[in-house]
Amino acid sequence: MSEIIFKPCSLKEMWEEMPNLPESRKYMAGGTDVVTVENAGFPSAECWIDISDIPELAIVREEKDHVFIGAGVKLNDLETYPFIKKYCPALLAAVHDFASPSLRNMATLGGNAGNASPCADGVCALVSLEATIVLRKGNSERKMPLRDFFTGPKRTKLEKDELIYGFEIPKKENLLGQYFKLGPRAFFGISKVAVALSAALDGNKVKYASVAIASVAPVPLYAAKTSEYLTGKELTEDTILKAADMARGEVSPITDARSEADYRRDMSGILLERALRSLTD
Amino acid sequence: MNKEEILQADEDGMFTITLSVNGELGQMIVSRNESLVEALRHYGWKGTKKGCDTGDCGSCTVLLNDKPVLGCMMPAVAANGGNITTIEGLGTVRNPHPIQEAFVEAGAVQCGYCIPGMILSTKALLDRNPEPTEAEIRKALDGNLCRCTGYVTQVQAVNIAARKMKALKKKQEKTAAKEAEKAARRVSRKAAKKNK
Ligand SMILES: Cc1cc2nc3c(=O)[nH]c(=O)nc-3n(C[C@H](O)[C@H](O)[C@H](O)COP(=O)(O)OP(=O)(O)OC[C@H]3O[C@@H](n4cnc5c(N)ncnc54)[C@H](O)[C@@H]3O)c2cc1C
Ligand code: FES
Ligand code: FES
Repeated sequence: MSEIIFKPCSLKEMWEEMPNLPESRKYMAGGTDVVTVENAGFPSAECWIDISDIPELAIVREEKDHVFIGAGVKLNDLETYPFIKKYCPALLAAVHDFASPSLRNMATLGGNAGNASPCADGVCALVSLEATIVLRKGNSERKMPLRDFFTGPKRTKLEKDELIYGFEIPKKENLLGQYFKLGPRAFFGISKVAVALSAALDGNKVKYASVAIASVAPVPLYAAKTSEYLTGKELTEDTILKAADMARGEVSPITDARSEADYRRDMSGILLERALRSLTD
Repeated sequence: MNKEEILQADEDGMFTITLSVNGELGQMIVSRNESLVEALRHYGWKGTKKGCDTGDCGSCTVLLNDKPVLGCMMPAVAANGGNITTIEGLGTVRNPHPIQEAFVEAGAVQCGYCIPGMILSTKALLDRNPEPTEAEIRKALDGNLCRCTGYVTQVQAVNIAARKMKALKKKQEKTAAKEAEKAARRVSRKAAKKNK
């Protein structure tokens, strides 16, 4: 097997060169998942396409009705944009608890989605923000709600060579966001369960709420019923407890090396309670 | 198409990469599954340590283009064309960097295995934020595990380092201002001579 590393400087160059590359090829952004998978002994592709030098993928931009985040933006760089703070608070909260500072200088949201793990924190936050994923292949582009992009653990709707180009997050005024993650270390690493909450309040009334939960289903879960239930309700203790119960009903966790199903189910509710209470703190 | 953007393995499956380590531009011959920390150590930069090899402990931290990254999570081939700083690039025993001095002064070093990574994370923090709070220090060192100390002396070390670097910067600025003043005086003396 002749191994090749291709590091294009632009998308145009990448698409032009694509037909000349070995059929067995794989994108690599920060490489933090690619390396972990490779170290675990899984066979990898003959050719790595290292996309970390493509400026188009590092774009972060505020548009009229949405914010765009390029797939290749390093997680640590997100904090530097005031409009990300304003429109994507749940994402910043998730990034804050994401691995370690050095790892956040490597890891990207494109890789977080591409890896398609049910415990992906960046993805979970983006799902609560109702993000749209933008995919490109040559000159063609398609978009879909991020929550529909995953088909199972490690499986997505990506076609061969299709590239995650970025994410569009709709702009919502006065948006609050929380990310509550439970893991073996305070902030670090893969979660047992994590809850992302994006919400807007009008006094004590929930004007808008969107809940996503990680590590409790085959894909990062959008808690549709819980989100719908919360929207329009007074944020009373009763509402909070009912929403938590509803969340427990929406998850379908399994027992694995990291945690047990019952614990995950219960904590999904508890973390949502904490997130909801923190809205009025 | 720029040829350098495609790296092809030779018959033995090895790649030749070009990178700068501590200001020295050079080549390394590496395999694809070789991590940056392995390659650095193989080429003699043994200040960088390998602890877990899974991205969890931070002892392999190096600076890539001035930002801390994990050497064990980065394939060496991905560092092709990059600028790497290891602990050897900061200072020497005879001429230590203020952060290195601070770690010694605070007694923050026991076995020392975590320290190169800890110091490079500190460097990146202080470059960005010269007066960090304790919470900011703890957050910046979050990924650097130490199994000997209780982190207390290391937080102190970062505080001492911040003061040292601030003092050093002031001194450098003073010297630069003096030099500029001298140069300005020379110019005006010359001009006065000319006018005579
Ligand atoms: C020590 C450690 C701690 C971690 N902690 C966390 C954590 O707290 N939370 C969390 O969610 N994850 C965590 N991870 C997992 C990992 O860091 C993240 O999933 C990260 O976002 C992956 O990004 P990357 O750029 O490194 O991806 P890569 O490893 O480069 O790529 C991952 C996958 O996505 C594909 N891909 C990458 N970019 C694109 C693109 N633009 N288009 C199409 N496909 C693409 C690749 O082919 C590959 O299959 C951790 C990993 C390690 C090693
Ligand atoms: S050796 Fe790289 S993080 Fe432990
Ligand atoms: S001094 Fe021994 S691990 Fe930190």
